[in-house]
Amino acid sequence: MKKDIRFTSANFKEEVLESKIPVLVDFWASWCVPCKMTEPVIEELANELKGKIKIGKLNVDQNPKIASEFNIGGVPTFILFKEGKVVKRETGARSKQQLLEMIKEAGISI
Amino acid sequence: MHNSNCTCWNCPAIDLKGKVDFRACGQSTTEFGKKKDETSEVYIMAECKRRPELGLFDPMSITFEDCPQWQKTPYGYLLKDMRVMILGIDGYLGWTLALWLGSLGCRVSGVDNYNRRKWVKERGSHTVIPISSMTERLHSAKEVLGIEIDFREIDILNEKERLKEFIDEVKPEAIVHYAECPSAPFSMIDVDHAIEVQKNNVLGTLGLLFIMRDVVPETSLLKLGTMGEYGTPLTGRPIFEGMFPADAVLHWDGREWSLGGELTPRDPVSFYHVSKVQDTFNVYEACKYWWLRSYDIMQGVIFGVHTDQVSADPRLRTRLDIDEWFGTIINRFVAQAIVGIPLTLYGRGNQIRGFIALRDAMECMTRLIACPPEPGQYAVVNQISGVYSLRQLAYLVAQIGRKYFDLDVQVQRVENPRVEADEHPFEALYEKLPKNYGFTPKVNIAKEIYRMFELLSKPQIRERIEEKKHLIIPKTWWSGVKREVKRLELLDLKEEVKEDEERYKIYQR
Repeated sequence: MKKDIRFTSANFKEEVLESKIPVLVDFWASWCVPCKMTEPVIEELANELKGKIKIGKLNVDQNPKIASEFNIGGVPTFILFKEGKVVKRETGARSKQQLLEMIKEAGISI
Repeated sequence: MHNSNCTCWNCPAIDLKGKVDFRACGQSTTEFGKKKDETSEVYIMAECKRRPELGLFDPMSITFEDCPQWQKTPYGYLLKDMRVMILGIDGYLGWTLALWLGSLGCRVSGVDNYNRRKWVKERGSHTVIPISSMTERLHSAKEVLGIEIDFREIDILNEKERLKEFIDEVKPEAIVHYAECPSAPFSMIDVDHAIEVQKNNVLGTLGLLFIMRDVVPETSLLKLGTMGEYGTPLTGRPIFEGMFPADAVLHWDGREWSLGGELTPRDPVSFYHVSKVQDTFNVYEACKYWWLRSYDIMQGVIFGVHTDQVSADPRLRTRLDIDEWFGTIINRFVAQAIVGIPLTLYGRGNQIRGFIALRDAMECMTRLIACPPEPGQYAVVNQISGVYSLRQLAYLVAQIGRKYFDLDVQVQRVENPRVEADEHPFEALYEKLPKNYGFTPKVNIAKEIYRMFELLSKPQIRERIEEKKHLIIPKTWWSGVKREVKRLELLDLKEEVKEDEERYKIYQR
């Protein structure tokens, strides 16, 4: 995983909650096969939407406090944040198209 | 280097410590005690078994590139003196890999119960390239290549305690599991052979998984699967690498779902292939339950005789079987060409398969060993370097035999004793090894076939092929019938050339 899309307990407040642009967080685990298969899509989107929306991943095993705070019960879970607030969440593998739709449905123009 | 950015999260030399309460993985429940910084929000920490002086640290903070224990090799960073255990070290692949890894500086250990030697002997055959006893092999490896191999004769199915003790003693950082029966026809001989293959493969692997859970849960397991697990889907849909990608979407009833991460359908074509599919599920579950980490390696049909190490001395050669049960198709074709038997295509002969040369398979294995999966990760790669129709290969072998070795090589179609599609679409994906692990095939198939002709034409080896040539034409039918297959047609090689050129355009990626 590329370092620039890794969210952790240490940077979550600054990178996600205080971000000036919307943020899509992929809550994942290394034992979760659907999470691993979604990884290339997340990396692609992160590059394509750079500047418009920040996209990154948070490992639930390494950051259980945040996982618990957002009541993550299954992975992958995608949560879309806007101005520090949760505006949309979905659980389960998603195609690139489905993630783009999720972003659009949240009223975020890309 | 393909693994520069891997971190201690991937490294088998760390113990994961900390509080893992997201799921009961059973591995990382060691409490920090007084060592834990109370204000820390990183819950899983690493402790390096090789560099204990580092104390507890964030496992994603050190990359292989930055760690002095990971050293550059032509195949990525490898742990210095990496301890690799090979199960099935006496076999065609096992012995070759032992010497290959030993020459890269790995500390190689291995086990075998000589089942392959016994099975081949039971069928009345022998390896056409002579191999010596394990004692002599070990001695030669030391004398010729300076490689010391720690070997134990252990049956992984029936001597689980001994295997556990050996693994506990060596504490391997990677385990390569080749200790399975690799033959479809052998599993179809009769009920006893079907049961033996399934017991050996499925239960042997299951026992290993429990041992790894208890003794070396952080060690990566490289488990040999086969492309044959997938079958040949007649829809023509791509054969993915084990799991569907996230962009594979199921449309049904006006709705849609991403299939990302679900295992793709398996369609095995013999009781041997069924054993490999069962292994897939056992390994997959063990990764999920216990945080084991594994590569399931869907290897294509293997061929060839050469690596620098096995070619360094006749005493270091790996075995080569040509009988109907253990001879893989290209190896069998070359042997047939040398002793004047028309090369045998089963049925229409238009079966398409993925192939990989022995040397390239060794490189792939090394690149995977160098890049261990993350905790709990079950990963799959399709380990092939090219896709060919069997006709195309028969033609290629015939052409090389005729042109360079002055042999009158013929090709024949015979009845197909198997139950399989002999005319089918085939689009296998094999992108992960090149894209993620930096692998590019080095072996030119025609050159390797040429090299096989050279070696197998030597008088001593030719004589050994002659002795067992009656065991090449199949007599094992999937239906249970026991009789030699009949010839359907002797092919006109001139016409074959044209057809093969067309097929080559279609299937060569």
